[in-house]
Amino acid sequence: MKSVGEMNQAELAAYVHDQLRQEGIDLVLSGGAAVSIYTSNRYISHDIDFVATGLAGRAQIKRAMERLGFREVGRHYEHPDAKWFVEFPGGPPSVGTEPIARIEEIHFATGTLRVISATDCVKDRLSAYYHFHDRQSLHQARLVAAERDVDLAEVRRWSEVEGKLDEFAKIEHELSRNSHAEAPPHSL
Amino acid sequence: MLEALVGSRNSERVLIFLFAREEGYATEIARFFQTDLYGVQRKLDGLEAGGIVISKKLGRTRLYTFNPRYPLLSPLRALLEKAITFYPEEEREALLLNRRRPRRRGKPQ
Repeated sequence: MKSVGEMNQAELAAYVHDQLRQEGIDLVLSGGAAVSIYTSNRYISHDIDFVATGLAGRAQIKRAMERLGFREVGRHYEHPDAKWFVEFPGGPPSVGTEPIARIEEIHFATGTLRVISATDCVKDRLSAYYHFHDRQSLHQARLVAAERDVDLAEVRRWSEVEGKLDEFAKIEHELSRNSHAEAPPHSL
Repeated sequence: MLEALVGSRNSERVLIFLFAREEGYATEIARFFQTDLYGVQRKLDGLEAGGIVISKKLGRTRLYTFNPRYPLLSPLRALLEKAITFYPEEEREALLLNRRRPRRRGKPQ
């Protein structure tokens, strides 16, 4: 198997995911790294965000990460050879007020990665756009919708639950696959 | 009142303050409750790590608010809304009735 320093972002995420799962820690990849995977790195994220789907505590995660050679620095983990930070944001696995609906499994040579679905990934990005008016998040949602099968009817339903139907109506056309214009790779 | 539920008196103070005022910074919260700043800062850090609050820098001050993306925010607000009705009237009014509208610079108090 590749060394940590040789792994790309998805391979590293799969490696960490698999190793922690063996220790009874269930995770799902979310955030910008999920966008990177769904857009074949047209959007580049510099961290790897995992949300715990089980009842693993921070101390258990810390012990497991240290066994893999990571060191806790503030609220994230760094490995001397890895190019990406790993974070474990708190809170239940959710998009807005709803639990994550579906989880995809993607297989890599370094392990199996569980990642939020493309539809939930779009919701996750739109949540940041709706609440913080972050246009970068809207751009990421557009990139995912352009490259993956995203259930826009479900995104509409969820937007209504979030009280953001008016905002969704304004941007719905931007999420339609055939309306997407070529956009340059985007980085945080 | 919520101390047993949320783990500490300072956690309750921080949550009640942010509920009542919508936003706040550590020094302001510590001063209001006449408690130590470090304890309040530690609770704010923990709540932020847990995704319950978010913060942003305003000049030299770090301002905290509830995280609008926290999935349990609505029931949490409902709990705090009920809890604050049990606070002593003087404290409740001091929390809720602070001035929020702008005041022009230089205007006499």
